[in-house]
Amino acid sequence: MLLQLVKKDFLIVKKYVLLMFLVCIIFPLFLIWRSPEYAGILGFVLITIFSIFMLLQYVSLKETQYPKASTLLCALPFSRKNIVLSKYIFCILIYLACCLIFGIETLLFPQLRNVGYEVPILLFLVVSLFLGVYLPIQYKLGYEKTKLFFVVLIMASPFVFAQSLKMENSLSMSFLSNINPVLLLAGSLITSVLVLVISSAISVRIYKKADLS
Amino acid sequence: MENILEVKRLNKTYQDFSLHDISFSLPEGCITGFIGINGAGKTTTLKSILGLTPKTSGDIRLFGMDMATNEKAIKERIGIVLDDGGFYDELSLSEMKNIVASAYKSWNENEYKAYLERFSLNPKQKIGTLSKGMRMKYALALALSHKAELLIMDEPTSGLDPFIRSQLLDILKEFMDKGGRGVFFSTHITSDLDKVADMLIMIDGGRIVFQEEKDILLDSYRIVKGDIKDLDTDTEKLFMNMDKTVFGFTAITKYADEVRKAMPDSIIERPAIEDIMLCNIKGGR
Repeated sequence: MLLQLVKKDFLIVKKYVLLMFLVCIIFPLFLIWRSPEYAGILGFVLITIFSIFMLLQYVSLKETQYPKASTLLCALPFSRKNIVLSKYIFCILIYLACCLIFGIETLLFPQLRNVGYEVPILLFLVVSLFLGVYLPIQYKLGYEKTKLFFVVLIMASPFVFAQSLKMENSLSMSFLSNINPVLLLAGSLITSVLVLVISSAISVRIYKKADLS
Repeated sequence: MENILEVKRLNKTYQDFSLHDISFSLPEGCITGFIGINGAGKTTTLKSILGLTPKTSGDIRLFGMDMATNEKAIKERIGIVLDDGGFYDELSLSEMKNIVASAYKSWNENEYKAYLERFSLNPKQKIGTLSKGMRMKYALALALSHKAELLIMDEPTSGLDPFIRSQLLDILKEFMDKGGRGVFFSTHITSDLDKVADMLIMIDGGRIVFQEEKDILLDSYRIVKGDIKDLDTDTEKLFMNMDKTVFGFTAITKYADEVRKAMPDSIIERPAIEDIMLCNIKGGR
């Protein structure tokens, strides 16, 4: 039941899923060609966040375009809890797909430095924090109001990108190696899971009270 | 007769509209028409029944169970048809069906395929390419393929041509013949209800105006056409919704016997549901 709801999210944006899939493959290769010095962690982090955010935006856009479809789903024996959880799972699956694609590419193209397991776990924490804040706000305020946040993010992205380039060196493995890897792994994972659990509980609570059109 | 749906003192308040103490019940074995003009509160009432909008107060019971505590069990037994289907246009019929089917334990794939064949629907077709009539048929195929006992439909015939509306009404009769326990059917096209409804509930301005068996309701009102000179202050009290012209008047009455005695030359006719609905909206009671 829950998986069908996740599948539904992928189906309603299937054109964009294909597009993002291609971007995920091509972007790291593009960096190898144009800026090989950044074709490692930075490419992986940026493309993962971008993919999750873009696909989530497209899904929300479709949900806004067809508000009666959400009403129908809630009129069926689907629980609102599962409808909300499917959005979180949708985003986590995109994150995992990005990790998988990048992992395969690092095997095929040695120029893409292997990011190890610390970066994906830290990135998962970043993604969890982002989803943890964004999704409850979207359930509360709706897509139209929340997309302003997206517009601000897009406008800020050139500055963030520039800052990221400056920070690229400090994001090297040496910074991570100062922390006990087990602690880093466990702490990040536990925090991520906690953030997602609390955020999804808040989203479910908001959506259960929502007045559907 | 057991009630499959009972609504007691339902209240729902919006900024510019409210449902006031809505109470009615759906007896088993009936096709019940829920009538009222646009904005009367039909959809809000249906949404409250289905738990799609939080109610301010009131009690809603389906199959004897409270929606708040038995939502899943109740929804398993209901078929839903929304006014424009409530589908994602990008999906194919088959993709949308997979989503809907996964929600029901008692989904019957053979029954669904039989409906698709009967309605000449191609499962690979995109929902966005369906005409309004085909979309309605598809919505019915989804609503009737999981052994639903109660079919709840919001304005299903709105915007459909007479042929498709007639087919829809045949399907409703068939659903009841197959052992369906009830149909609750909101509409402002009352001519459809003349053909199939057993029971009528009217809502206006967020309040229930009446709940009555269709035949009893139609028997209790009459259209009267008469000469203006027969009207005086006493006889005018017998009428509602009166239209006067230089040639005469047309009005609705609940007092046909008195009218016959007072105006023996007047023409008295049986009204349609629409006439009864209009005279109740215009406040002619």
